[in-house]
Amino acid sequence: MADLLGIGVLFAAVAAATLVAVWLNKSVIPFYIIIGMLLSPSVAGQFSVAGYGLPVVESSEFVELGAELGIVFLLFFLGLEFNLDRLLESWERITRAGTIDLAINFGAGLMLGFALFRDPLAAFLTAGIVYISSSAIITKSLIDLGWIANDEADPMLGTLVFEDLFIAVYLTVAAALVTGGSDVAAAATSVGIALSFIVALLLLARYGTPWFERALQTTSNEFTVVRAVGITVLVSGFALAIGVSEAVAAFFVGMAFAPTTHTHKLESLLEPLRDTFAAVFFFWIGVETDPRLFAGVAGLVAAAIVVTTPTKILSGYLSGRAYELNPRRSMRVGLGMVTRGEFSLIIAAVALTGAGTSLSTALANAVYSFTVAYVLLMSILGTMLMQYSAPFEQFATARFGTE
Amino acid sequence: MDVTETDLPGVGKKHEVDIGGGQQLVVVTHNTGTRELYLKKDEDADSEKLLELSDRLARMVGTILEGAYFQPVESSHVETMLSEGTLLEWYAVESDSPLVGETLAGANVGQRTGVTVVAIQRDDNVIAGPSPDMQIEASDTLVVIGERENCEQFEKLLTGDL
Repeated sequence: MADLLGIGVLFAAVAAATLVAVWLNKSVIPFYIIIGMLLSPSVAGQFSVAGYGLPVVESSEFVELGAELGIVFLLFFLGLEFNLDRLLESWERITRAGTIDLAINFGAGLMLGFALFRDPLAAFLTAGIVYISSSAIITKSLIDLGWIANDEADPMLGTLVFEDLFIAVYLTVAAALVTGGSDVAAAATSVGIALSFIVALLLLARYGTPWFERALQTTSNEFTVVRAVGITVLVSGFALAIGVSEAVAAFFVGMAFAPTTHTHKLESLLEPLRDTFAAVFFFWIGVETDPRLFAGVAGLVAAAIVVTTPTKILSGYLSGRAYELNPRRSMRVGLGMVTRGEFSLIIAAVALTGAGTSLSTALANAVYSFTVAYVLLMSILGTMLMQYSAPFEQFATARFGTE
Repeated sequence: MDVTETDLPGVGKKHEVDIGGGQQLVVVTHNTGTRELYLKKDEDADSEKLLELSDRLARMVGTILEGAYFQPVESSHVETMLSEGTLLEWYAVESDSPLVGETLAGANVGQRTGVTVVAIQRDDNVIAGPSPDMQIEASDTLVVIGERENCEQFEKLLTGDL
């Protein structure tokens, strides 16, 4: 298909996905993935109507780069909204809730991953995939349900902040391990390079604020956007070129911009850019997915859902208690944290890059389709649990009292 | 007055205002500027959403609440407390005020009342930091800063009671 036409089909398709999401009043992310899957060569490419093929979006260079930009902007925003001072302010409670969440879910993920895939690297990736909740979907649900004004929002958002910080470090290590291959020395070298690059970025974020402040000093919105994109994409691209996760680099660039006076402006100016490319990212995830592989991983996905739903509810409940919430509200925290989403997919994308080197192609594909199916189902399950939380709350009150 | 401010990472900020009787007014300010108002009937209750305002509307409603358009009680001027005892006040100059036609220096406002005129609003213009030789005109609005008693003194000067 002609290039511009193909991109046109892509954007029209994600636009259609937003219509469906509004109509069903659900988060749009799963619909981006599903529509990408429907238009992929492995679905639409298999059918023809009256001798004409259906429109198929191939994973072209543009789509892949667009998806990468989506990851970069998603993480850039995460960094931008990540205020270290505020984190330190409620450090104690956030770390308590965050550590409970990490220990229970990452731990369970490691064991589950090893049981499912019989491979240490795959287990490590699975642990990240089932550990990280979806900031985007959970935040949207919180706003939709009006819970954002309630006390349960604090531990949920606090835990998400902790997860985000952890995932930045985790992605660095995961990307390095996947590209480093099975050779221990090579893997250690790439982890070393990655971590030193991160330290350099951290120093830049910590001491570079005056420079970042000046860099965006202009009255023109156009110049602000272009300069911010220039810096972010250049640093991320450089990171990727030397084998460090571009997502993590973008996260730290965002963090570097966070203390400047431009934060608010950047948020409002770059949000449309982020949303456009994030849509391309989720669409690309769909395009790369062959739903026929779902059959092969159905058992794995079922096992993961059965194990990781209760662990999230448990860790969320305990986090709520750590925030001194009553059992009813703590239960809500648990139900809310069940949703997995965009970051699990970023890990899945990392897994795919290891196909044929650090992971066998079959294993990489299995982890990938496992993640897509898992994320799709968990995003539905998580939002449903929040919507129909009443019986769970009654149970918590009946079992653990009101205090 | 008890106001709690909480950060909502990725969303914005939340302010909880104790409005008495155990009730809390919760204002969620989104990064986009949208404000959501919630009422919490008591400490344990869930928040009920009252309304949602765009940034523009919220500011307008806020100005009305602040009393900029209509002051049902007390004074004929707007006052803002800067800190304990120090006020930022707006005074309308009536046409029969003895200050009409005088300059700020000529009226000796600072010496006689202890307030500082920080701005003059004339029609749609705001003259910030007016020079001492600036003449006061009828229907000006003077923005002054000073201790409460000094402000009261100034009001008397303005209406010719001093």
